[in-house]
This record gives sequence, C-alpha cells and structure tokens, in this order.
Amino acid sequence: MAGRARSLLRSLVHLLTPSDSNDAPGLPHPDLVAAIPRLRRYARVLTGEASRADDLVQDTLARGWEKRRMWRTGSDLRAWLFTIMHNVYVNQLASMRREAANVSIDADPGNPAWQIPVRANQIDRVELLELLQHMGRLSADQREVLLLAAVEELRYEEIAGILSIPVGTVMSRLSRARNTLRNLVTERASTLRVVK
Amino acid sequence: MTAANSPPVPEADIHAYVDGRLPAEGCASIEAAMLRNPDLAARIASLRAQNAALREALDPVLDEEIPAHLLAAAVPSAARATRPRWSLAVALGLAATLVVGVGLGWLLRDVLIERTGTPTTFARQAAFAHALYAADANRPVEIWAAEEKRLVNWLTKRLGFAVRAPDLNGVGYALVGGRLVAGNEKPTALFMYENAEKNRLSLQVRRQTAGPPETAFRYAEENGVSVFYWIDDASGYALSGNIDRAQLLKIAHVVYGQLAAVEAAASK
Repeated sequence: MAGRARSLLRSLVHLLTPSDSNDAPGLPHPDLVAAIPRLRRYARVLTGEASRADDLVQDTLARGWEKRRMWRTGSDLRAWLFTIMHNVYVNQLASMRREAANVSIDADPGNPAWQIPVRANQIDRVELLELLQHMGRLSADQREVLLLAAVEELRYEEIAGILSIPVGTVMSRLSRARNTLRNLVTERASTLRVVK
Repeated sequence: MTAANSPPVPEADIHAYVDGRLPAEGCASIEAAMLRNPDLAARIASLRAQNAALREALDPVLDEEIPAHLLAAAVPSAARATRPRWSLAVALGLAATLVVGVGLGWLLRDVLIERTGTPTTFARQAAFAHALYAADANRPVEIWAAEEKRLVNWLTKRLGFAVRAPDLNGVGYALVGGRLVAGNEKPTALFMYENAEKNRLSLQVRRQTAGPPETAFRYAEENGVSVFYWIDDASGYALSGNIDRAQLLKIAHVVYGQLAAVEAAASK
C-alpha cells in the first residue's frame, strides 16, 4: 500500500518537475540516432554531395524533432523520417528555384560533385563507381525511387506514402530509372569493348 | 513460336518480381514466361544484378562515422530543453496533489529528497574534482591521451563496466588524458579535455547506485564551475567546465550523442 502510494507520488512529482517532460528534452532519441546513417545515405543520393547531404540530414532531424508528436509510436520511424527529408528537400529546391529563376534543375546533367564513396580498397570495384556515376545522371526523382525500392527495400505503397505520389507513379519512375541506368551501363560497356 | 504467342508480362510485375514483392502465383507465371522468353530472363537477371550492385555501392555510406553536429541535431535546442511545459497532465497533477492532501506530505518530501539528493551530490563532487585537477598545469591526469587505450582499459577495469572517452575534437576539445577519482562508494573515472585556448573540460563517469533511471540533463553551478549531469542506464555522467551554460550544453549533447550511438551500434 505504502509502496503504491509512493510510486503514485513519484509519477506526480515527475509531472510537476518542470525540467521533466514525457519526452525527456535534452537528449537525442536513440532511435533517431540509429536512423542517421540511412538518412545520410538517402540525402547523399538526393543531393549527390556529402556536405549538402549532411545539411539536409540536419534540417530533417530538426524538423523531425519539431513534429515528433505526429509520429505514431510503433510505426516505421525510418519511413516517417524519409517523408520529412523528401519534403524538406523539395521545399529547398523550390526556394532555390525562386531565388535563382534562371537555374533549371530539370536540366541538371548529372551531378559532377557526386560523392558516394565505395570503399577505397575495392580497386576491383571500378564498375560500382561507374554505376554511381551513371546513377548521378538520373533525375533526383528517379534516384530516390531507386534507392527506396532497390536499396532500402521498402514496399511500393510505403514509397508512394513517403513521396506523396500514387503507386502507379512509383512504378513508372522505377521502371524508367532502372532501364535508363541499365542502358547507360551497357552503353559504357560496349564503348569499352570498341576501344579495346 | 515463343514470346510472341504468350501474353506480355506486365512491367509492374517484372519490378515486383525483381524486388521480391510479387505474390507466389505471380512468381510462378513470370518464371514460366522467363522459360519461354530468354530476353525477359536476361532482362530480369540484369535488373537483379543492378539491385545487388546498387546495394554494394551504397552500403558503405552506412558505416561512415556520424559527424558530431548531426548527433547534436538529434536533440532539441537548449531553449526548448529548459522551457517548462505546463500541460493538462500537470494541471491534473496539481488537482491530484490537493486530493492526496497533507496526510501523505511526508512521503512526498521523502521522494523529493530521494530524487534531488543524489544527483546534486554528484554535481558537487564533479565540480570539486574538476576545479582541483583542471587547475593543475603539469599533472592534470594520471595517464595521458597518448596512451588512451591503456587509460580506457584501466578505468574500465577499476569501474567494473566499459567506459570510453568521447571524441570532442569536433567541438574543439582534444583529450588530455584521464584519472581515477574517489566517488561515493565506487570510484569515478575522469577524462580531461582541452581546447586551443587551454580551457579545460572534464567528463566524469561513475556507476549510479540509487535513484531513478532517468535521462534528462540537469544543470548545476558549483563554485563557478558549470556542470551538466545526467543518468543513462546505470551510469551517471557529469560534464564540468568553466564555460557558459549554452556552450557546455552543446558539448554535453555531443557527448551524450556519441555514447548513444555506440550503444545503438552495440545493440544492433
């Protein structure tokens, strides 16, 4: 009885102590920390550049924290954060467009600063580096669908949710991304054969 | 008499098959179509190889070390952390307090003492230890950072659980070394850091024997030394320095984040 009263009081004190709120302000959520590597990869694929990617991750984490009450406990935190990241990126692009109306993003001919490291000791992995270079020539729309489906292995419905597009659009983007990438790789391979 | 006679396989099914998302009957029919149509079989094989290659090329990003500023971004800002949140729950709590009444007041006092007593002592001890050793120009530590591995092994052994020195170079502080400090019942490990202006910080770690297993940051000032302390699992941490609260909180976030990242990695 006394123990019960004590624990009841303890939770009461917990509520009344101003520095304590239910989500323990001041500490990174371990789940949030665990999601960072995947967010960095997604950001790297979107921006093609390491430092811009980390800025995007930082903005995403800040936004994620602000909106944390909208995350339903038990649902996939990764997908939720991906959604936020996609939206942050799209908004950034939109404001960049407004600032520099003469810069066309659609005509982006692949990113020259495409920085996705393949482990340095894998010298025999030249084709992986080339694959990433080819991937850099796809549009950001196609790159992200490819990442989410082929690398993150999310369901098409989840991808549609993250990108706020119909499943049909996910499928057509995925199809275009894969075929373009495949053509780029085989084109390159046949050029090599000719050069030999 | 081959591909032309059979119904074309829907493009969406090809991708679902490649991604392992096609139900069993769909798989059976696409596999039958692949037997009839070598071009389709070749295309599917190359898409699968593409998936594998993309994973192989992009997976190394996951193993990169997380920069300190990203770990710090996974926490709320200092302003938000310290602003009290009064909510309906608190209002209900206040009402409940009235109902519970004075009769149980002594219990409440008891709990309050239990909650605040131990951590305050830790902050105080941490501040004293910091003031004592940080001011020592020649011998602030027992083992210098050059022998970090030996230092960490020794402290781990003495404390009875794994301790590590977080890397604070990202916020301008290099590890000087560490020492053992007398604690409550168990010894405390002290890591000393120093920045380019020769300002020193100390991080103290000890096994927490009693008290609630909470994780909120708490702040105290003792004799001009700022201390952030928190309890994580069964370990108590105190970060002390002669710098202002906001700066120290930022560094405390980095320390906490690095320790949380190690834990997250260990539990994978």
